[in-house]
Amino acid sequence: MGAGETSVRKRALAVALTICAIVLSLGVAACGDDTVGGGGNSDEVTTAKGGPVSGDLAISNWPGYMDPGSNNTVAQFEKETGVSVDYIEDVNENEAFFGKMQPQLEQGESGGRSIFIVTDWMAKQMYDLGYLQEIDHGELPTVFENIRPQLEDVSFDPGRKFSVPWVSGMGGIWVDTAKAPEIRSVNDLFDPKYKGKVTMLSELRETVPLVMLAEGIDPIEASNEDWLNAIDRIKEAADSGQIRRFTGNDYTEDLTAGNIVAAIGWSGDASIVENENAEWRMPAEGCALWSDNMVIPVGAPNTGAAYGWMNFIYEPEVNAPLAEYITYIPPVEGVQDLVEPELAKDPLVFPSPEFTRNCTDQDSPPDLEPVNEAWQEVITG
Amino acid sequence: MSLKQRLVPYWLLGPGLLWLVVFFVVPMYFMGELALRSGSLTTGYTFDWAWSNFPDSLSGHTEQISRSFFYAGTATILALLIAYPLAYAIAFRAGRFKLLLLFAVIAPFFTTYLIRTIAWKTILSDDSPIVGVLQTLALVPPDGRVLATSGAVIAGLTYNFLPFMILPLYANLERLDLRLIEAAKDLYSSSRQAFLKVTLPLTMPGIVAGVLLTFIPAFGDYINAQLLGGTQQAMVGNVIQSLYLNQRNYPEAAALSFLMMALILAVVTIYIRFAGTGAFMGDEDEEAAR
Repeated sequence: MGAGETSVRKRALAVALTICAIVLSLGVAACGDDTVGGGGNSDEVTTAKGGPVSGDLAISNWPGYMDPGSNNTVAQFEKETGVSVDYIEDVNENEAFFGKMQPQLEQGESGGRSIFIVTDWMAKQMYDLGYLQEIDHGELPTVFENIRPQLEDVSFDPGRKFSVPWVSGMGGIWVDTAKAPEIRSVNDLFDPKYKGKVTMLSELRETVPLVMLAEGIDPIEASNEDWLNAIDRIKEAADSGQIRRFTGNDYTEDLTAGNIVAAIGWSGDASIVENENAEWRMPAEGCALWSDNMVIPVGAPNTGAAYGWMNFIYEPEVNAPLAEYITYIPPVEGVQDLVEPELAKDPLVFPSPEFTRNCTDQDSPPDLEPVNEAWQEVITG
Repeated sequence: MSLKQRLVPYWLLGPGLLWLVVFFVVPMYFMGELALRSGSLTTGYTFDWAWSNFPDSLSGHTEQISRSFFYAGTATILALLIAYPLAYAIAFRAGRFKLLLLFAVIAPFFTTYLIRTIAWKTILSDDSPIVGVLQTLALVPPDGRVLATSGAVIAGLTYNFLPFMILPLYANLERLDLRLIEAAKDLYSSSRQAFLKVTLPLTMPGIVAGVLLTFIPAFGDYINAQLLGGTQQAMVGNVIQSLYLNQRNYPEAAALSFLMMALILAVVTIYIRFAGTGAFMGDEDEEAAR
């Protein structure tokens, strides 16, 4: 019996190894030494086709970007057009969303979605990799009639070839005015007085340009050297314990709990900061302006309905309730006259050109890889 | 034996083998293959036996790796120190409350991991009563904090993986033959001696299982460091996440994952050697015979 058992075991092992070998060779045959990634579609940029506004439409958006309720903007669109909308809130971070979609986009698939909403630089990155379709302005009469003039031409997408803004916002400083009323500049965040009571955003393109602005450097013109110098300054502050954490949206929790006196954060977050002393301040040296944009990915089904949705969102009457809920800057001209008077006066939702005169567009460094590597070393210190 | 009979073991082996191949061998193969590619997102990742990914993935990250060892090790020891008396009390002293207490151990884990960890942020926030008490007791300096420190990350790890320590220990203790302890005492051993010479050796399988189940996931964890840590608390899991999601250095991320698996495997092998294979396999007879 003992000997028989051994031989059975040996054979089992042999079978197992054979199966492994087969699977491995299949794997080798399937992937060979081909190349993964690299935006193979970039040569043939297509333009999304127009068509009837009907059928199904899947949209990936950020949480907090849609008014709630059974008669919200989505429901109204469905009622008006008969389109069945699958509204998915699965964009929590540009990077993570990109990581999730990239393998499909590489295959020319959009995961069934016809619209993504991503931030300027991510829209550009996707476009450069050939993951987006261009938009046909002829299909978007309402959008280009009502879009705010400042948004019509932007540095990352001159002439709006592939992006339509959903909302815009400003990166600046949140201050707990009861604890640190005198903080007005990003430079103040480096004041040892506030050691361990300050947070910054973990996103490279949010935090570093604001620090450069504070040093008098124009982030759009900045060299890699400038980026790396600013990162060095932040690294020193992180190592010394001056900066408590690098955060995503969760700086609002630290602000609410009173763990911090100031944070780098976004202008539209007043509704989730439950601290009545907290206020968003325009940094003395200017803010970082960004938009989250609707884009049409490659392989998007039913692009006709996607155009329909974009036009619908750009009706001022449709956008006004949305703007009241989101409290970021609506991209649609004429919304200011339709919202509650209180909100219409809010410079964070309807900033005047004077208010944002020192602000800069968000941009990536000239040579992303070394800068990003240095930055990630700071974040995962 | 007929051919049919001889084939039976293979058929029985089939489902398990298939599982291993599909969910372990194949992913490992793809990960290994990815770890040997080079390139970037824009140029694409080409397979070219890029062994340099392995040393590259370690460079600059040794601090996070040793930190992960320290955090996971400390959390495992703390969990053992908390879980052993607790499991002991539930197994022998709880009487009719046994099930209730076991349920109390497991109940919090019906809530997702993330929510529980975020809850700790509220509990440990700088102005919270708990931090106030710790400051009064001088365990935390007067202007000090708990959140965004190594202590908070270790506490989070200990809390989150505690049930993985308690349950194997409990299962082991529950089966303990109390007559053996009686016998030890009949032979004039003190309670302490009886514990050290009888109870502890007999519960080694539970301890080994608990330590493995706690240490391995704690080592790779990145949620606790991200939510409860500050700027100097990143663990190796955070580094892999950053390499993968933020730097898009898929090959180095895969290489680092591979190295960490190998490292854990080595540590676990040494540990099992040290703690005894018999104990790991639950071979109580062998243990008892010693």
